[in-house]
Amino acid sequence: MAETTTDSVLVTESVAKYDGAETARKQPPPEKPADVRRRSLVIVSFWLIVLCLGLPIWWQTTTIYRAKLPLDDMLDWAEGRACRPVFPLRISVEANDLQQQEAQNLLRLTQHALDDLNDFSGHHLRLQLSPPGRQNESAEIEDTSALTIRLLPGDSPASALHPYSSILDITYPPNSVPTQTSSSSALATYIAGQLRSTFAEEQAIISYLLSTTSFSNEQRPQGLTPEAAESLAKRTTRSLKYSPTYHLTFSLFTGGHQPSSWDIEAAVDEFMRPVLDVLTPIHNFTIDTQIQLYAAPSVQSQVLNKEDLSSFVNAAEWPLSPSIGGAPTVNFIAYIGNQTIGLPPTDQDASDGALATSQSWLVPQWGTVYLLPLPEDTTHVSVLTLKQPLLTFTSHLLSLLGTPQSGSLPLRLSTLSRIRSADLLLRASSTLGSLARLSLALPSISIPSSVADGVAKTMAHLRLACDTLGTPEALYHARVAEQEAERAFFEKSMVGQLYFPDEHKIAVYLPLLGPVGVPLVMGLLNELKAWRKRRREALEKGKAKKDT
Amino acid sequence: MRRVLSFFLLCFLSFCIPTFAADYHEQLVLRPLPLSALLASFNFRSNTSLSAFEAHNYRFFPRSLGQILQHAGTRELHLRFSLGRWDAESWGARPWDGAKEGGTGVELWAWLEAETEEEADHKWLTLTNALSGLFCASLNFIDGTRTTRPVMSFRPEGNHPSSNSTNMHLLYGVLPREVVCTENLTPFLKLLPCKGKAGIATLLDGHKLFDASWQSMAIDVRPVCVPGEECVLEIEQTIDMVLDIDRSLRPRDNPIPRPPPGHELKCDTSKPYHSDDTCYPAVYGANQDWTLAQIFGRPMQGICPLADPTVPPVCLHVPDSRSVYSSAGVREIKNKDGLSRCFEVEPAADLDVVLPRVESEGEAAPTLAESIVRPETPSLYAERSFTGYGQERGGVQTILRNPSPDKEVEFVYMESLPWFMRIYLHTLQARVDGPSTDQESLIDEVYYRPALDRARGTQLELRMRVPPASTVFLTYDFEKSILRYTEYPPDANRGFDVAAAVITILDDGKGGTGSASVSSDKHTSSNLRTTTLLLSLPTPDFSMPYNVIIFTSTAIALAFGGMFNILVRRFVAADEGPEVSLKRLKRGIQTKLGSLFSKFGKASIKKNE
Repeated sequence: MAETTTDSVLVTESVAKYDGAETARKQPPPEKPADVRRRSLVIVSFWLIVLCLGLPIWWQTTTIYRAKLPLDDMLDWAEGRACRPVFPLRISVEANDLQQQEAQNLLRLTQHALDDLNDFSGHHLRLQLSPPGRQNESAEIEDTSALTIRLLPGDSPASALHPYSSILDITYPPNSVPTQTSSSSALATYIAGQLRSTFAEEQAIISYLLSTTSFSNEQRPQGLTPEAAESLAKRTTRSLKYSPTYHLTFSLFTGGHQPSSWDIEAAVDEFMRPVLDVLTPIHNFTIDTQIQLYAAPSVQSQVLNKEDLSSFVNAAEWPLSPSIGGAPTVNFIAYIGNQTIGLPPTDQDASDGALATSQSWLVPQWGTVYLLPLPEDTTHVSVLTLKQPLLTFTSHLLSLLGTPQSGSLPLRLSTLSRIRSADLLLRASSTLGSLARLSLALPSISIPSSVADGVAKTMAHLRLACDTLGTPEALYHARVAEQEAERAFFEKSMVGQLYFPDEHKIAVYLPLLGPVGVPLVMGLLNELKAWRKRRREALEKGKAKKDT
Repeated sequence: MRRVLSFFLLCFLSFCIPTFAADYHEQLVLRPLPLSALLASFNFRSNTSLSAFEAHNYRFFPRSLGQILQHAGTRELHLRFSLGRWDAESWGARPWDGAKEGGTGVELWAWLEAETEEEADHKWLTLTNALSGLFCASLNFIDGTRTTRPVMSFRPEGNHPSSNSTNMHLLYGVLPREVVCTENLTPFLKLLPCKGKAGIATLLDGHKLFDASWQSMAIDVRPVCVPGEECVLEIEQTIDMVLDIDRSLRPRDNPIPRPPPGHELKCDTSKPYHSDDTCYPAVYGANQDWTLAQIFGRPMQGICPLADPTVPPVCLHVPDSRSVYSSAGVREIKNKDGLSRCFEVEPAADLDVVLPRVESEGEAAPTLAESIVRPETPSLYAERSFTGYGQERGGVQTILRNPSPDKEVEFVYMESLPWFMRIYLHTLQARVDGPSTDQESLIDEVYYRPALDRARGTQLELRMRVPPASTVFLTYDFEKSILRYTEYPPDANRGFDVAAAVITILDDGKGGTGSASVSSDKHTSSNLRTTTLLLSLPTPDFSMPYNVIIFTSTAIALAFGGMFNILVRRFVAADEGPEVSLKRLKRGIQTKLGSLFSKFGKASIKKNE
């Protein structure tokens, strides 16, 4: 471009010479070496500015901050390589009527029998003998041991689980106590079998939880039949996501204007509060109640079949909006109406039959509906009327929380806390894995330092939870880990990533880089060419000099 | 033992509960206005005891709202959804003394309990976000720039005995742009104990409500303490609307207005030129007969059984001299003042009220003006408009007129302006136009909080007076600022809405409204709001960023290319440089083609061989 302009400027004086120029063009006078040097310096300095100032500034202003994440460790957690979930459960044995020696021997044999029975290495039952004469301090023991076995002399081997405390009473005929030397004993096998059946459900649930995630294979138990797995899957999908606090909402819906008041507060205190109090170490609950009149269900038919049950709740009209504040809501609805549920009896398996009575049904992860038929002119619902609904609500609440179905209540709750900690641990690990995969898959996503902090905290708490599995602290650590992992994953500045397509970048960069870049590159190329030419000439000149 | 005790307790409780039955109350007041308008005021009020509220037991009080209030630590809440303009010149004073209305759009003010201002801001954010979800309105857009803390304008309406004034924070936010519509009415009706299924709420229909000339939906939540009784939390929901009767009577199946056929035209027959083909239209729709069912599209279906039976559900403000017919099962009670009557309805009966046409013939024919109760004259008329021109500066002028011949009006005038409207406070001026020659300043007190760009808006509160029978012109100038590219709304050329000014008329404490027992010596006697304004700002072309990129790039490239070439190229005479001409180009192409041909030719020769 510049060449043509200089030509046109200087063309006036050379017009006349053009005819002869074809044969002999004038050579420009040789350039001064200072000019050549200056030109090289100019080009070099331009390039230096571009490379040393332009590029770093561009890099600095357009680069995305990505905090360093321990990706390998995160993936290790997600794939179960970092933690081997082991639930060592301590079971204390009270045998006050046995000699110390005999008891020790029985313990050893039972432990053997247990280890033989157990096919799932993650779930360990460890027997220990509690010193005799400490029954009074049994509360203290309960803190550390999952179950206490009381051995009582009796006529025949029998076992009974205490309904309100975690004590298993086993009676044994005195002659069945193994001697010092015997290597097997019927009593030991019996105790082991009883223990195993007591913990069978917990084992099944935990092994199911592990099998649904990508935790390593060798830990996966073989004993899970497809049917059992299916019923466990059903149960897990039914239960709510773990949260430290739940809002319980009791609603009275009625199609007309009556009844317009109920004694729900007293009824909850009487029928539900005891269970809620027992659940306090694992969950907190807030309770609110409401009455809604003129509320029509979405389904008008008198007999409700299975499809109607899922659409009965009129989500558009009924004010069941989730509560604010983050904790999930469990809805308990008493609907005043004389509809009946018509389900073919073959349609249900055994576990469903326990949950769906003729008047109520459970909506997975949401709550319960109870149909309460009342006389037309009832204006007030008394506590006694509310007894059956509330007992149903209570049992459904336990199942919504994921409590196992067998065993005594304290045992079920301690099992619940173990299941929940395992569940949270797995959930937090898988969230970490997702975060790691996300950051690998999207190189243009920014990762603020708060995410790195969250990941570090999660991993620390996961480690602690993994080390203390089976104890109450594990639940706390797993809960913190899960919260931190979720917070890191749903970091706002990361989610709201701006999308800049490549065409957009070209549209922004090309108008500037094209016209500026071409002269720069051409100048550099010309200069390199000239430099090579000069070097060759210098070499030739040197050669010529040598030759002469 | 415990069971037995609790059983007795419950029996006792169940005896007590029916006494709460009067905790809900609803009433509809109809008031025909001049120019064939009809003001319908719906009022729903329910109470809950504070103890039940704190124990989360909701009966008449809506749970969805109660939860929000508790979560956000709200002690008192006022929410308004309004549309249209109240025509004070013809309709007179506002319903409820203006206490239940807001400026066009959505208005929210609340007293929040918080230790610090930051905590209050945080709770306010929670509150607006939650209410936004509940009422399907963009309340979550009430951010720092739209929030003010009024100092003189608002006073708590409820009683707050337990909290001192230091931890109660008043925050006020307004969204003048919000279009109020059916999606806001549905959640409003859901809050009522009888929903829209029974009682006066059955008359509320989105089509009619939002077709009104003016409407305002209000929700007020306040604690009320009567000495000697337990404090209660009161929620009052109000809907006021001014219906154009002619418009409402338009048949549903034929909603498009068409010119009526000749025989249906209403002509003024008293004119001398009145004939078959000449018609002077009668006074605009003044004398229509209507029924409740026609106006609202359906009759009222029964009464809400929860409502207080001592309060008649429907009242009509017309002089006793006018005859009104009602449907079966309805009992009419005339009030002693001779200006209103109420209707009591049997529980299951439908209510319809027929207001026949006023007979204009006959001896003692009442005039049209006598057929309605004459509206009260408001204590102040206010009008606000923009002055000035251009895209850089502008002015605001508010005309405040005191119609009373002998009484001075004292009030607080509050403006909350957006930050991009930078006012010049030194240009604030109040000028009297009227008989008053009083030269003392009309503005007694000024509270001004200047705007911060993109952080908060201007707050201007003036306590001022208007002398009797005079008009005050309040003017000030402002500068329009230029916004950033992303700060413009999607339809930027429409302009920006500026919230209504709130005028709180103060009383000397003689005739304040009943429930508000304010500790200060000045009582709020009534409120009014001006219309919103539409401010047009300089609006850019939104392809601007790309144009700027291309333009600056071109300029840089031109400058850089020229400079770089001058620095790097060597200048020689034209005959000294490499030859650049058409001939040479031709020759170059020829030689190239020639070599190509020769190669090709050789190849073909080889083939032939």
